[in-house]
Amino acid sequence: MSKVNVVFFASLKESIGQSTFQMTLNFPLTIGELKQQLAEELKDGKKLLESGIQSSIDFEFSRDTDTIPETVKEVAFFPPVTGG
Amino acid sequence: MIRVQHEDFSVDDLYKGLLKANQTGAVAMFVGLVRQFSDIPNESCSFELEHYPGMTERNLQAIVDEANTRWPLLDVCVVHRVGRLSVDDQIVFVGVSASHRAEAFQACDFIMDYLKSRAAFWKKESQGSESHWVEAKDDDEESLVRWSK
Repeated sequence: MSKVNVVFFASLKESIGQSTFQMTLNFPLTIGELKQQLAEELKDGKKLLESGIQSSIDFEFSRDTDTIPETVKEVAFFPPVTGG
Repeated sequence: MIRVQHEDFSVDDLYKGLLKANQTGAVAMFVGLVRQFSDIPNESCSFELEHYPGMTERNLQAIVDEANTRWPLLDVCVVHRVGRLSVDDQIVFVGVSASHRAEAFQACDFIMDYLKSRAAFWKKESQGSESHWVEAKDDDEESLVRWSK
């Protein structure tokens, strides 16, 4: 078990109504499984399951199938990027 | 040099920073600006640009590192602004110096294409009293295909 910071950005942050969420993770766990847990736990968390939502593990882009390492500090979820 | 900042930037200063004495044969630069995007003339338009501190800088560094493996470059500078920006404000600067123009042009183009789809920035557009988050365009993702090795 490990406590991690889950952060949300842009439209996802507004939909969920908060930018950060502290969560205790039970390993092994994939990004996709964490998404499912958050979708059930957070009000309006279902937005996380919409297509196109991206993620990162400790500042590196990740995929739903990626396993979250036990050393993780921060996981982020966000819509597709629109810089430039 | 990679910077994410609220403040405006001087293109002239950034250009001079790219010059390497006796080596630079070409400098290619791109500047992105906020244009009037409302159909209603003179309606106030602005952007709110959000980023993910820590990740955005890493994303930009990874893109610049990849450019450096593909072309022999002398220097690269990427500056991206965040926060509220209004019409005519500068948003982003990408500058590349090299010995020859081909690699400078190509690397600058490559960095901008990847910045659009692989760097953690999000834009919220405001027109008058309405605002909405900008959705990613399919053609931004498709433009990466031409860089496939």
